[in-house]
Amino acid sequence: MGVQEVAEKLARVLNGGGDALADPTGSDLLFEAVVHLRPLRRTQAPADVWAVDGGQALIADARCLQVVVTRAARVRYRDGGCVLEDDGELVAELLTDGSVINLLRDKGEWDAVERCLAEAERGALILIDGDLQPDWRIPSTFLAGLLDRAAAAGVTLASVTKHSSLSRGGAPLLGHLEREAHELFGARATWWAPIARTRPDLAIDIQVVAACLDPDAPFSFRIDLPGNVEPEPVLGAISALCDDAAFPGYPYPLTVADRLAACPGWLRAEAAGDLDDALAALGVTEDVRRRAFSDRHRLMERA
Amino acid sequence: MTTHNRGRLFGKNVLEGTFRAAPDEDLFLGELLVAVDDATGRRYLFRIVDVTYGTEHREPGWAERVAGTLLADDVRGEAGAHPLHEQAKRTYRVASCRCLGYLTPDGLHFRKPKSLPTQFSRVVAPEPADFDFLRGRMGDLPIGHLRSGETTVDFEVGIPGDTMATHIGIFATTGMGKSNLMMVLSAGVMVAKGRYALLVVDPHGEYRKALARHPWSASRLRTYAARPLPNTNTLRLSLGELTVDDLRTAHAWSRPQDEALFELERHYSREGHDGLSWLLPFSQVDDLPGFRDVEINGRIALNTLQVVQRRARRIVELPCISIDPGVSVGAAIVRDLVEGRVVLVDVSGLGSTEEVLVGSFLARRVMDHWQAAYLDDPELHESLPVVSVALEEAQRVLAAGADRESNVFPRIAREGRKFKVGLCAVTQQPKLLDDELLSQFNTFFVLGLADEKDRNILRASAKQDISALGPEIQTLMPGECLVVNLAAPFAVPARVYLYADLLAATPAPPEPRPVAAPNISALVD
Repeated sequence: MGVQEVAEKLARVLNGGGDALADPTGSDLLFEAVVHLRPLRRTQAPADVWAVDGGQALIADARCLQVVVTRAARVRYRDGGCVLEDDGELVAELLTDGSVINLLRDKGEWDAVERCLAEAERGALILIDGDLQPDWRIPSTFLAGLLDRAAAAGVTLASVTKHSSLSRGGAPLLGHLEREAHELFGARATWWAPIARTRPDLAIDIQVVAACLDPDAPFSFRIDLPGNVEPEPVLGAISALCDDAAFPGYPYPLTVADRLAACPGWLRAEAAGDLDDALAALGVTEDVRRRAFSDRHRLMERA
Repeated sequence: MTTHNRGRLFGKNVLEGTFRAAPDEDLFLGELLVAVDDATGRRYLFRIVDVTYGTEHREPGWAERVAGTLLADDVRGEAGAHPLHEQAKRTYRVASCRCLGYLTPDGLHFRKPKSLPTQFSRVVAPEPADFDFLRGRMGDLPIGHLRSGETTVDFEVGIPGDTMATHIGIFATTGMGKSNLMMVLSAGVMVAKGRYALLVVDPHGEYRKALARHPWSASRLRTYAARPLPNTNTLRLSLGELTVDDLRTAHAWSRPQDEALFELERHYSREGHDGLSWLLPFSQVDDLPGFRDVEINGRIALNTLQVVQRRARRIVELPCISIDPGVSVGAAIVRDLVEGRVVLVDVSGLGSTEEVLVGSFLARRVMDHWQAAYLDDPELHESLPVVSVALEEAQRVLAAGADRESNVFPRIAREGRKFKVGLCAVTQQPKLLDDELLSQFNTFFVLGLADEKDRNILRASAKQDISALGPEIQTLMPGECLVVNLAAPFAVPARVYLYADLLAATPAPPEPRPVAAPNISALVD
């Protein structure tokens, strides 16, 4: 298939008018029959706000063997001021299956969420990067228990997905909704819309919404909330955290957690150096190490 | 008391440094700061040459995006709708510096940079003791106070007076304080008790009243004026004392005109005329064609002769020109300079070429006198003060095209230091000066210069590295300057004294020693 043919096919999808909502990554959702956009009013940010994000990096790659590091960062804002910045402990793991890295990162993130919940005040909001559906290898009972404990403690969990796979008629849903909202509410409107809920037969009850959280937000986001909360007040409170000039429409505490969790080049290099030193100390010769972990692509100038 | 940290050093190399500062840290171009190396005990002196923004956010366009959001809020009249949360943590300033050198741990010695300070050293404002090493290098001709960025430091800056013999350049665009600096230098010479002398040729008449107000002017200043002015001596130059070389320096002559000068000088010297005294009879020749055919055998074209005669008449008719060799002030001016005075020659009212003619004559007299003493009477020469000849719009006589054998100014630039005769060249356009001549100047006073070409030529000739100081020079305010010479280990930023303030702070000269009564002095004799 040539590029022209692909473009024609893609154009049909993007301009098409299919109504079927879907999420290729989440089969546990029951979607709304019709998406109704509603105006959203910004309210007050909670006094106690937490944000959690995870980071990962590959530090040595022998293809059949990989060494990865993950970490989960937490931040806490009280009355608008940052009182905690925890970039999380760097955890290394030897993998034979590359997909396990997502599980490791997710596990670290949800452990961090648990710690936040343990320290949070009643009425607190815990923001999580991603969605409220952990890696499938994490038992759903874990999340169900966490949501129950949060509800009992008067703490709200909310997750924000920066780049969602939700679709309608095969086309990205949020882009459609942004255009519809522009027609419906005009420019510079904040809005939200219920999108889906988890199937009632599952152990966890989650609702999925789309929301534009600032009048100048360049994008709207998928937001997952516990099924037992009223979405609009929670979204209004999250909106109050989304006024940062650097990225209007995205909760500022999550940007801080994101920065802390990132594994920049220097950190990867440092971890790789530590690993190399440790291997050398254990008698693995430089030749063996080099043959195992040399980046052939880079050596062949394809990097 | 704890010292306020201005930042932390994080890069770059032995000669340059970069440090990070808080986003609200007010950093100025030219500011002097100290990196405290606790590991070695050294204090590294840095000069800020640039300040830029920094951010923790690495994604491209982050800052532009933030500015766009804020700007959009402004346009809507909703300033503050999107604050930049925790700006102090997310943004910062990065100062690029030149390392000037370091103070040894005992604080006694200053050394050029040859090693890196420990990374992440504290950067603090300098303490007064950090400049102690400069104290012995600032000489006896004070010009102002040390400046660190916009801050004036209580530390006097100047130059050694004897470096006047190795020539001074004062470079600035209009309004930057050249005249004030010239007066401050003159004031310094006046109070130097005869160690130095300064000949100032003033084309605009701007110094006469101001210098006369100096408390020491009665004994240390002589003013000569080309026109009748109160409290001045009359400037009269004898034609016989002027030379063809002065004429060649003052006017641009074509080759035929130059040959005509040679012919005319030869012709009239046979009649016993000295110097340019022949200009008088030549200017009075009515029948120029006849003179050409009879007196000089038609060797000069008539129109060339006409040009020379027109210029001769103009010179002869100048009020400051005398045909009587006995009335010249040349000897008096040299005597004043020998006695270590400031001699101000007010040539306001003269044209530019006549002004150069006067300057050339006086500079030649000075050079000849000091040179003769050097060659013939070393003891006398030893006792002579260092003398400097100050000339405005110096590019007229020091430009590349002006470097001729007949021009005394390039000769002084090349040979004067040996005889203790220096130039003080003042110009707005150093780029017009001859490179090689400029390289003879060991002291630069660089005030505000807007033209990059001007800055570049100074960069190439300065005796200290000022290659990174372009932005600083560009942003100098009136009265702010860089002093670049061999005495200091780096270009010293200064705020020049305001002449009026200097006058107010100058004490009266000491009372003259009482003269002994004749009978007593006879006993002493």
